[in-house]
Order: sequence, then structure tokens, then C-alpha cells
Amino acid sequence: MFEINFGGDGEIVCSGRLDAAQCDRALSFLDGVSDARTLDFSALEYISSAGLGILLKTQKRLAENGAALKIVNVNNHIHDVFRYSGFNTIFDIEAKQE
Amino acid sequence: MRKKFARDFDSLSAIYEFTEGVLAAHDLGEAVRFPVHLAMEELFTNMVKYNHDSDGEIEVDVAVDAGVVTVTLTEHDVDEFDVTRPREIDTSASLGERTPGGLGLHLLQNIVDNLDYEYRDRRSRVIFTKESG
Repeated sequence: MFEINFGGDGEIVCSGRLDAAQCDRALSFLDGVSDARTLDFSALEYISSAGLGILLKTQKRLAENGAALKIVNVNNHIHDVFRYSGFNTIFDIEAKQE
Repeated sequence: MRKKFARDFDSLSAIYEFTEGVLAAHDLGEAVRFPVHLAMEELFTNMVKYNHDSDGEIEVDVAVDAGVVTVTLTEHDVDEFDVTRPREIDTSASLGERTPGGLGLHLLQNIVDNLDYEYRDRRSRVIFTKESG
């Protein structure tokens, strides 16, 4: 189960598991974003390389307008995935307090 | 425990539930469950993407012994694709230099403890292990 929605402060709230089967839905949502946003991962349990690809594609598109995604409340396992892929150098990432 | 799954991304939720059932039965924590699920997805989606001409199911076997999870994925009548071959991924590349894709097997090789590949008579088999604790 994966959900992606706007939160009350304009942040993007993701929850569940972002696997390859959910990427079309995630990309469809993120394609509608055109300015700097915070992604709240506090309820996101899992991400695979397919999900990383969606984040990268969005970050590259936003960078053309000088904007960027910031990702907050990242759990330890997802943080490891970001680190192994070097995404911690191309995204502003804040770990979850666990 | 062994089960066959249709060669489709939509099988991922069923694979997750199948694997989670085996891991939960052995009371394994998230520290081993997360990487096992991730490795499983990266291998399964790789098989779906690179052998899309095959319509055969993919067999998944998950076993736990003495805290070691062993996962085997088997597919038949496919071309050889050695997932243990080192991947040329520059994880220090800038945003502008990066292109989506290619990270899956790099992640796989970083998160499992052992990774083996066998190819014989057009049968492809990948085996990985992950130790708990």
C-alpha cells in the first residue's frame, strides 16, 4: 500500500511502500509539483531503486527552475538506501528521530 | 517455502506478503526484513525487465536456518544475466550527471551478505543470503 498526498502545510506526505508497482502513481503526483517542496517520509516504510528513480527525475526537473525537494523524517533503512546510492549528496535529507 | 509468481510488477505485493509471512514466522526483525524485501524486489523487477519476452513464472524460495535467510529466484527459458557482475555506478556524481536507472543491482550487491548466480540450459537462478543480527 502506498499513498502520496499534500499535507496541511503544503508538504508532500508519503506513506507505505514505494516499490516498482507504485512508481507510476508517485510520478504522476510529483509531475504536478513545480516549486520547492518538503517530502515527509515519516510514514514511508520502504523504497526501492524504482522509487529513487522517481525522486531523481523530479529533482532534476525542479533544478531547472532553481528549486529542489527536501526529504524529512527518513527512517534508518531508507536512509541507508540513500547513502548506498549517493542520494544523500544530491538531496537535503533529515533523518527520523527513532 | 516456495511459490511461483507471474512475471509482472503487480506481483510485488504478493511477493512481499509471501516473504513477510516466512520472515515473521521466524520472528526476524526489520533489520533483516527490509534488506531481504529490497533485494527480492530488485532481483524480481530485473528479471521482469530484462526477460520480458519470456511468459514463464518466476519461482521464489525463502528459507530461514539458524538466523540466516536464503532466498532463491529461478526462471526458465531466459538469456543469461549475471547479477553478480560488478556495476559501474558513480555514487558521487552530481545531480546534473545522473540519469535514472541502474541503481538496483548496485543496491542489491551492497545489502546482501552473499550473492550467487547459476545459468544452465537456459535456466537462470539467483541465490542470496542475509544474516540476522
